Formats: sequence, structure tokens, C-alpha cells
Amino acid sequence: MKKRHKGSFRRSAYAYVLIAPGLVLVGVILIYPLLRGVVSSFFTQASGSMEFEEFVGLRHYRELLSDEIFFKALINSVWSTAVIVAALYLIGLSIALLLNRSFRGRGIYRSLVLIPWVVPGIAAAMTWKWMYASQYGIVNYVLQALGLIDQNIDWLGSTSTALGSIMVTTVWKDIPFVTIVLLAALQSVDTTLYEAVKIDGGNAWQAFWHITMTGIKNVSITTILLEIIWTFNKFDLVYTMTKGGPSNSTQTIPVYTYITAFNFFRFNKAAAIGVIGLLVVGVFAVLYIIYNKREEGNGA
Amino acid sequence: MTAKRRKKLLGKAGLYTGLTAITLLLIFPFIWMVSTSLKNKNEMFSATPTLLPKHVTLENYYSMWFDYNFGVYLKNSLIAAVSTTLISLLVATFLAYGISRFRFRGKTVVFNLLILTQMFPLPLLIITIYVVFARIGLIDSRAGLIISYCTFAIPFATMMLKSYFDGLPLELEEAAAMDGCGPFATIFRVVIPLSAPSVAAMGLFSFILAWQEFMMSLTLIRSPQLRTLPVGITLMVGFRDIMWGPLMAGTVVVTLPVVVLFIYFQKYLITGMTMGAVKG
Repeated sequence: MKKRHKGSFRRSAYAYVLIAPGLVLVGVILIYPLLRGVVSSFFTQASGSMEFEEFVGLRHYRELLSDEIFFKALINSVWSTAVIVAALYLIGLSIALLLNRSFRGRGIYRSLVLIPWVVPGIAAAMTWKWMYASQYGIVNYVLQALGLIDQNIDWLGSTSTALGSIMVTTVWKDIPFVTIVLLAALQSVDTTLYEAVKIDGGNAWQAFWHITMTGIKNVSITTILLEIIWTFNKFDLVYTMTKGGPSNSTQTIPVYTYITAFNFFRFNKAAAIGVIGLLVVGVFAVLYIIYNKREEGNGA
Repeated sequence: MTAKRRKKLLGKAGLYTGLTAITLLLIFPFIWMVSTSLKNKNEMFSATPTLLPKHVTLENYYSMWFDYNFGVYLKNSLIAAVSTTLISLLVATFLAYGISRFRFRGKTVVFNLLILTQMFPLPLLIITIYVVFARIGLIDSRAGLIISYCTFAIPFATMMLKSYFDGLPLELEEAAAMDGCGPFATIFRVVIPLSAPSVAAMGLFSFILAWQEFMMSLTLIRSPQLRTLPVGITLMVGFRDIMWGPLMAGTVVVTLPVVVLFIYFQKYLITGMTMGAVKG
């Protein structure tokens, strides 16, 4: 849509009255805690106390270097984020392509596909926990009925399957978002271009690659960046399904940050873990901002 | 000609089969949750599970309500969600209007910061929020929880409303100003009525955010009489036994309002959310 008005009111004291409450809240409860969290990773402090005791430089970070659980969490977070986002994009794109065809009942399918995204995180975690249950769990029942496994598996209770099981749940939960965003992008692809490819003697694959994929390239990149950030930061599902267990096989950076702070009461070490996570996410956040700015600059 | 038509029909059939299969897989957990919550113990723990309950029973809902303090959790969640909705809408509308209509120093910085806050890792923030709230007595208090929910809702709601306000014609507001309306009166009498669907969608967004939030509630709230639904549910997961029946009933209570509201208002929410995600 074109902007009808470029104008805005003049500078005014009212502006500050209007924006002050929101900015104070965001400053005090989002920005200050982030900055102080980073600073606190270089200090020691008595548990539950506001004041820093001693500047210790990189001591907490050095401690992380010899912390096996931390490395497990980091590897799990990076690896599962990569797999989840790749799966999300491929599955989301496939469903979006199907939904982009015109057929009767499309609206109903589109509404139903949204459901996993709308189910609250905690409810999704509890439902999948029940589905994964080693006894009476529906996943075991179905897989045995199909002859894919011959005995019950304790999906969330065994170190070899727990992370994979949580990854499946995460993909299930976020598919709708990717699907709907890509579908919106597909609908704005200029269909007359397909005729042009046909006239030029191009095949279906060339049409898909040069028109469809090129048309949704920008949206794809921003969606993938956002999903990387959100998936890496995800906390609820892992915490409520396994708390990082069994034997840290599902440990992730956000969960380990939380547990270190509130179960082991090592606030400063927890901050150091959180900062490492922040650095990883930060790279993608910066890419996202730069990319968005460039798109705006192009004047879409 | 007929071969072509047959091919087209087959394509349609394939499309419906594929989409139906995918959709069923996607909504199965939701159906299973509702179905389990309505089953009695024999049926829930049977060797051959049934998709739909043969004997519908509400015993899990009774148990959830009477054995697990659910009324209290429900009340707390409603209070938190409604307060969050009202406060964050007011604050976000002001902030969005301010950014959209006035020129001030650091405007771009403010807007980029709002986008960036959506990417902050919550566990890192919570360490400091906890310490600060402990100092000023906001641990184990409704106010503390509501203040943090409002703050989490404000950045996204502000970005959405700002992009909507940007598209509103200035003339009406100028006319209101000439009639002697101050900026606040203009917001309430002109801007909000004009953007009612967007404001309502953002209200709904804030409600859902507070209704389903888990980590803050887990960390800040200590006393059982102040707990909210999402945390209350997880308490049914004991160390040895999990009471699946009441647990699924509780899960349905958390999920159903959100699903119903969302499906009903999806037109507004989807445009807002997809636009917000992709265009910033």
C-alpha cells in the first residue's frame, strides 16, 4: 500500500507525554535487565542481592570452558535450531504451495492448519508428553500398529530419543507460522509471469525456481532469520517436557541459563551462559535489522 | 481433451488427499487432548486406544476443579490477562501514536530498539528482573506479574499500531484539533474508533500473551493462591505419577479460549502478525 501521508505534526511536548510510559516500561523491564545481565557476568554477587561484590573479569566464562553441560547445551541448541528451521521451511513451503492453489474449502484448511500455532506452549508440551508416554502413549501405539517399532519406547525418558522428540514437537508448533507467512508471499507473486515463462518455452521447474522462489526470496530470508532467533531462544517446551534431562541430553542454552540461576543460584554464571546465547542470537538479529533496512531502502 | 480433464481431476483428488492428511496430522494432538480429557480411566489406559471417547465423562474436569485448586488458578490468570490487555493497549496506543505523528530526537533508535526487544533471550533478562523485583517488593505479587506482561506485549503492539496509524489520513485529526480537541481527546474520539479492528487485534494479542505465559509466572509467583493456569497445570505432573486425566482437562481449559478467539478473529490477527514478522 502506498503511503498517503508523509506529514506529521510538529515537535511538541505532548509527544514526550505520550511516549514516556511505554518507553519507561520497556527501558526498565527489557533494556536495563539485558544490559545489567551482560555486566553481571563479569562480577560476583551474593545470591538474591542487588549489589555486585567483585569484578572478576572473564572468570565465569573460563568456568564455562570446563563445563561439559554448557557445551552439551550449546551443541544441542545450535544443532537442533539448524535442523528445526530447515524442516520448518521445507514443510511450511510445501503446505503453502498446496494452499496457494485455488480449490473449494481452502479457507477451512487454512484455519485448521493454524491450530498448532495457537495452542499455548504449555498445553502443547503437556499434550505431547502424554502422546510420547512410554505406557499408553498414542505414539507408541501407532508406530507399533504400523510395524515400525516392536516395543514401547520411552521417548522423552531415553537419552537417544528425547531431543529428537522435542524437536518434532517444536516443528509441529511453528509450522503454521511459516506456512501462513509464505502463503501470503506466494499470493503476491505476479501470475502473469508464468505465462511469459511458458511462451519462452520454460518448463515447470524453471517457472518454480525463477518466478515462485525469486518472488518469495525476501520473505523467506526474513522468516528464516526470525525462526532461527525464536527457536534458539525457546524455553517453555524443553523446560516443561524434560527440564533438560535425561542426563542433560535435551539441555539447551536458555534452559541451562535458567536452571543455573534458579536451581543452582549461580546468578553470575547464569548471566555468562545467557550472554553466550545472546551473542549467537545477536548475529542473526543484526542480520535481520540490516536486511529489513535494505528492503525499505529499495522502496518496495 | 478427456485425458487432460482426467489428469486435472486426479490432480484435484491428490491435492485434497495430501492436504487432508497433513491437516489431520497437524490437528491430531489437539483432538487427542480434548478426547483424552473426556475419557474415563479405563478408556484412557486401554490397550487399544479409541480416537473419540465411547463414554463421555466430565470426571476429569471435576477432579481438576476440586482436587487441584483450579478455580484459583483460573481467577488469577483471568485477572492477569485482562489487566495486561487494558494497560498495555493504552500504553501501546499512546506510544504508537507518538511515534507515528510526532517528530522527536532518536525516533529511529526507539523503533529499532522495539524490534530488537522481540529477540532478547528471556532467561538472561529474568535474572535481573528477579533481583530488581525482589528489592522493590514485586516478587510474589500480581502487580509484578502484570507489569512484566504489559512490557512484553508493548513492543509488538506498538509496531503494529504504528504501522496502522501511519496509514490514517491526518485531516480528521487536524479537524478535531481545530475543534479544540487536545491530543488525548483526539486519540480517544478519532484515532481509536478509526482503528478499532487493529486495536482489538492487539488487545487480543496481549490477552493471549498473558494467558499462556509460563516462565515469568513460574519465577515470580511463589504462593499457591497467586499461581496462574500454565504453572498450575505443570504442578499436576508429580514425581512418580502423572494424573493424565485432570492434566488434559486443565490443558483444554488453557487452550480452548485461545483457539476459539483466534479462529474467530483470525482475519485481523493474521494480517497483523505476518506483517509484523516480515516487515518489522
